Amino acid sequence: MKTIHLKDISKSFEGDVILDDFSLTVPAGKFFALLGPSGCGKTTVLRLIGGFETPDYGTIMLGDKNITKVPIYKRRISTVFQNYALFPHMNVFNNVAYSLQLKNLDKERIKERVLKVLRAVRLESHMYKSIKQLSGGQQQRVALARAITNEPDVLLLDEPLAALDLKLREQMLIELIDLQETLKTTFVYVTHDQTEALTVADQMAILNHDGKIEQIGTPQQIYEFPASSFVATFVGKMNLFKGTLQTAGESPCVDVPGLGLFQIYISARYQWMQEGAHVVMGMRPEKIWMEKKKEEKFSNVMAGTVEAIVYHGPATQYNVRLKNDQMVQVFEQNEEHFPKEKIDYDDHVYLHWQKENAFLLER
Amino acid sequence: MARRAKTVHSFFWGIPAFLWQTLFFYVPLCFLLATSFVKRVPSTKISHFSLEHYAALLDPIYMVILARSLTLAAITVCSCLLIAYPVAYFLALRVQRFKTILFALLILPFWTNFLLLVYAWYFLLENNGLINTMLLKFGFISAPIHMMNTYGAVCCGMLYCYLPFMLLPLYSTFERFDERLLEASRDLGATGWQTFTRVMLPLTLPGIKTGALLVFIPAFGEFVIPSLLGGDKSMYIGSVITHYFLTVRNVSLGSAFTCFSALFLIFFLFILFMAHALLNREQKNA
Amino acid sequence: MHKILQRLSNAALAVWVTGAYLFLYVPLLVLVVFSFNKITFPYHWVGFSWHWYQELFVTSEIWEAAQNSLIVGASSVVLSVTFGLLFVVWSSRNNKHYLMGAFYPNLVVPEIVIAVGLLSFYIFFNVPLGLPSLIVGHTLLGLGYAIPIIYTRYNALDQRIIEASLDLGATDRQTFFKIVLPLLRSALVAAALLIFILSLDDFLIAFFCAGSSAQTLSLYIFAMIRSGVSPVVNALATLMLVVSSLLVMVFCSVKVKEDIW
Repeated sequence: MKTIHLKDISKSFEGDVILDDFSLTVPAGKFFALLGPSGCGKTTVLRLIGGFETPDYGTIMLGDKNITKVPIYKRRISTVFQNYALFPHMNVFNNVAYSLQLKNLDKERIKERVLKVLRAVRLESHMYKSIKQLSGGQQQRVALARAITNEPDVLLLDEPLAALDLKLREQMLIELIDLQETLKTTFVYVTHDQTEALTVADQMAILNHDGKIEQIGTPQQIYEFPASSFVATFVGKMNLFKGTLQTAGESPCVDVPGLGLFQIYISARYQWMQEGAHVVMGMRPEKIWMEKKKEEKFSNVMAGTVEAIVYHGPATQYNVRLKNDQMVQVFEQNEEHFPKEKIDYDDHVYLHWQKENAFLLER
Repeated sequence: MARRAKTVHSFFWGIPAFLWQTLFFYVPLCFLLATSFVKRVPSTKISHFSLEHYAALLDPIYMVILARSLTLAAITVCSCLLIAYPVAYFLALRVQRFKTILFALLILPFWTNFLLLVYAWYFLLENNGLINTMLLKFGFISAPIHMMNTYGAVCCGMLYCYLPFMLLPLYSTFERFDERLLEASRDLGATGWQTFTRVMLPLTLPGIKTGALLVFIPAFGEFVIPSLLGGDKSMYIGSVITHYFLTVRNVSLGSAFTCFSALFLIFFLFILFMAHALLNREQKNA
Repeated sequence: MHKILQRLSNAALAVWVTGAYLFLYVPLLVLVVFSFNKITFPYHWVGFSWHWYQELFVTSEIWEAAQNSLIVGASSVVLSVTFGLLFVVWSSRNNKHYLMGAFYPNLVVPEIVIAVGLLSFYIFFNVPLGLPSLIVGHTLLGLGYAIPIIYTRYNALDQRIIEASLDLGATDRQTFFKIVLPLLRSALVAAALLIFILSLDDFLIAFFCAGSSAQTLSLYIFAMIRSGVSPVVNALATLMLVVSSLLVMVFCSVKVKEDIW
C-alpha cells in the first residue's frame, strides 16, 4: 500500500496549459476517484502517474520514492485503458500472463497465478479463447485481470466502464469495489460520470475546467457539503439562492431578495463570515418537503406553483416557479403506487426544509 | 492526446535505409547529371565541362524518337484504360461470390515475368505461330498473316503487359466507390449515360489519373517490348540509351540523352498538370 | 424499353469482361499447353510429352540463372524489409513522417533512369558488376514498396496497445518484438512477397547492372527469345507461372485477413 504524492505539477501540450501548480495526495490502499468535466485534465493526471507523460515541472512520489523520471515499465503501476487495449494476437491466457512471462517465471507458477486472477474476475472458463470471441464486458474483465496479475502498487483506471451498457456498468462497479477491498491496492479511478465516482470512491477529488482541484473529500462530504458552486452544480442537481447573510438576531439567516428570510446553519468552514456578506444558499432537490398545505414543523418554507412534472421511475421531479420568478427543482420519491395526494400542474404548493439540510457557499 | 513513447537509441535505426537511398539513388542520379556535362579530351585523362553532348541532341532525329516513345505510351494508356475500366467496375461492384478468385486471376499476370508475357505473344503471332498455323490449317487463309514485327503487335504487347498497372488502382477506386450515389442519380431522373458521365466518371477520376501515370511513366521508357515484338526496326528512348551505354559505351552522351528524355517527360507532365489545373479553375468559375 | 437497354448493357459488360479475361489468359494457357507438345515445328498439337521439361532440367544455364535470381531476390527482400521496417519505426517515433517522401521517387522515376544512374555510378568508381550490384538496385525498388506498406500498417496500430505493453513491464525492445512485430506480420509478408516477385521479374536493372558474368532468369529468357521460339522456354514459363500462382495465393490469403491496399 503506497501513497501517491503529486507536487506542483505543470503540464502543457503544444502551448495549451493543462495543469498548473497541481498538487494531489492519493491516500494508500483506498479507492480514489478523480471527477471532472471533459478536458479538465483528469486523464492527464492519470497518465502522469502511469508514466505515459512526464511533467514539465514538479515531482511525483510513490511512497517515499521519487518516480518522476522513472520509465513506464519500471513503475509498479498498472493501467486499465478505456478501450481495454488487449493484445489482439494473443488469447486471454497470454494477455493476462504477459507481465509474468516477461520476468521469465516458472510456467507452472504463471499458470497458477493467472488462474487465480481469472477466478477473481470470473473468467476462468474463457482462459484460452481469443480476444475477438469475447463480449465487451468480458474484455473489460480481461483488461482488469491483466493489470492486477503482477500485483502493482497502484491500479489506474481510465473511464473503464464507458463502453458498457447500464446494467453491466452497475454490476462492474460493485465488482470493482469488492476487488479493491480484497486486494487493498490503491485504485485511482478517472471518470466524468458522477454516479460512478460517488458509488466507488472512498475519497474523491473534483477538478474544474481549468485543471484546478475544487474539493477533495468523501463522496458524502462532496455531495452534502460542496465547497463551491462549481462542485454544487457539477455533482448532482442543485437549487441556489443568492442573498445576504444576517448574523444579528437569535439565529443566522439569509435574506433572499424577493423571497424573504431563511434560517441557515453555518458550518465550521464559514464561521468567519460576517453580517452582510454576499452568500449563496444551496439546497438539494431531495431535501425539500413539498405539500399542498403549509406544515409548521420545518424551519423554512416558501410558496410556488408547479410548472413541470418529470417522471423518473423511482422519483418524480417537480419544477416549481416561485414568486420571484426563480425555478426550484424538487425530488419526491414515489413511495406508493396510489398516493393519497397527487400533485398536478399549476397546483399551488409549499416547499419546506430544515435549516441543517441547506448549505452555505461564498458568492 | 496520444503521444508516442521514445527510446534513447532509436536514432540509429533510420540510418541504414537513408544511407542506402542517398548513396545508391540520389548520388547516382547526380552522377548521371554530372556525367552529361563532362567531356573527356580524347587520348588524355583531362575532362572538362561541356555542353557538347546536349548540342548533339538537338538533331531532329532525337525529337522523332521522343515523339515515338510518347505516342506509344499514350496509346498504351488509352487502350489500357478502355479495357480496364469496365473490368474494374464489374469486379468491384457487380461480383459477390468469386471476387477473391477473380481478383487473384487478375493480378497473376502482374506477378509474372513480363518477358514471358511477351514471349506468349511471340508464340501466337509468329508467321509459324499458333494463330497462323490454326488459320492455315482450317483454311481461313491461304498464306500466313504478317502479324509479328508490326506496330500492332507492339501495341498489343504493351497493352498486355501494362494492363495490371491500370487495373489495380481502378479496382481499388471502385472498391471504395459508394454505389448509392449511382442509385441516387437514377432516382433523380438521370439516364444511364448521364449517371456515368456526371457521377461515376468524375468520382473515379483520381483512380484513372493514378493508373494513367503508373502506365505512362514506365511505358515512356519502354524499349524491350517494341524491340522484341516490333523487330528492332525503330528506335525508342530506351534503345538509344542502351545503345550509348552498352554498345558504344559513350557514357556521357548516354547520360545526356537520359537527362534530356527525363526533362522531356517532366515537361510533358507539367503541361498536363497545368492544363488540368486550368480546366479545374474554369469549371469552378463556370 | 428501359429494361431492354438495361439488359443489353449488362450483357455487353459481361461480354467485355469475359473478353478481357480471355485476352489475359488465352496466351498464357497456350504457353502452358504447348510446353507439353511433342515437337516444336510446326505449331500444332501432336501429342503429350515431358520432353521439354527434361531438356529444361538438363540445361545447366537455366539452373545457374535461377539460382542467381533466387539469391538476388532473397537478398533484396531481406535488405529492403529490414531497412524499411527500421526506418518506419524510427521516423514514426521521432515524428519525422515527411522523410518518407525521400523514398517515393523510387517508384515514380522510370526504372531505366535508375538503372542507368547506377551504371554510371559503378563505372565511375570502377565497381565490378555482378550479383551485388544487382542486389543494390533491387533493394532500392524494394524500399520504395516496403516503406509505404509497412508505414500504413504501423500507423494503424492502436497506440494504447503499445502503452499497455510498457505499462505491464515490457521494455521498448520487448514491446517491439512481442507486440509490434507480430501485429505487423501481414504487412511484412505482403511486402516481402511483392519485392521478391519484383526482383524475380525485373529485367531493366539486370540488363544494365549485372554485367556480363552474372545471368539471371530474366536475362536468360531475353536471350532465348532473341534466338527464337523454343518449347524449353514454354516449359520454363509454365514452371514460373506455377510459382507466381502459389505466391499470388499466399498474398491473397494474407490480404483477405487484413486490408493492405
